[in-house]
Amino acid sequence: MRLALVLVLWGAASAAVGDPRVNYMLHCMGCHLMDGSGMPPDVPRLNGRVGYYLGSEEGRRYLIQVPGASQSLLSDAALAEVLNWIVTELGGESAPGEFDPYTEDEVRQHRGVPAGDIGARARRLASELPL
Amino acid sequence: MNWLDRYAARATRRVAQATSRRHFLARLGTTLAGAAAALPLLPVARAGAPREAGDPQSCDYWRYCAIDGFLCSCCGGSTHSCPPGTEPSPVTWIGTCRNDADGRDYVISYNDCCGKSACGRCNCTRNEGDRPVYQPSKSNDINWCLGTTNNVYHCSTAVVIGLAAER
Repeated sequence: MRLALVLVLWGAASAAVGDPRVNYMLHCMGCHLMDGSGMPPDVPRLNGRVGYYLGSEEGRRYLIQVPGASQSLLSDAALAEVLNWIVTELGGESAPGEFDPYTEDEVRQHRGVPAGDIGARARRLASELPL
Repeated sequence: MNWLDRYAARATRRVAQATSRRHFLARLGTTLAGAAAALPLLPVARAGAPREAGDPQSCDYWRYCAIDGFLCSCCGGSTHSCPPGTEPSPVTWIGTCRNDADGRDYVISYNDCCGKSACGRCNCTRNEGDRPVYQPSKSNDINWCLGTTNNVYHCSTAVVIGLAAER
């Protein structure tokens, strides 16, 4: 009984934010493409690469604050799920074996903070992380 | 292994003496034709292609619900292919359209075809769900001929790339 209730609640929760794969298609893949290969240097490549950003707090925040994510039409909860989906499904060898998934609270905490010079942050991260 | 050889030879001979090749072919043909008719066809090839109605050269065709441009179907291409001499933009904008034929929502990729001057036929502007250009990933006012060898816009396609979540 309790399991059934949990499944119902889980179903309701996932229906509310939508399937992260479909949200990726609707909000990200137009530029990053379905396999995450992007169009470097204009559109960063995600596949085999995006997971490295989770190696530092700054990298973790960057993925929330980068304009394509922070200014998307996704809710905080949906954006958290899409970020987790991108890391696990497209991260490939860059994805950490275990990682703390993004949560709605974490996204809300960082999303509204002005991102500053996002290009400079991207270059700094690229030089610090094993990209 | 002698006994196995002898057994195989005897069995083969017995089959060859008791049946004819034409008889075998006739039975095989009947079996295959009967199986095709009796068993339901697997939905493999049909899974990606929605059941649909309408004219792809008409602006009110369901896939064009958020398009803004010339229909490639009228320009020598189709809903999902570019006319000869043009190349599809790799990056694009993505939306959903309701398919009235089955009542489901599909994810549509509006790839532009680029490399020749504007087609000029079947101009179609429907803009459902279109957002201002400050939401670039949801705006159809952008020339999406980015990443192609030539940035000149020719026409727009509307490729079905998947099923959106059921509402």
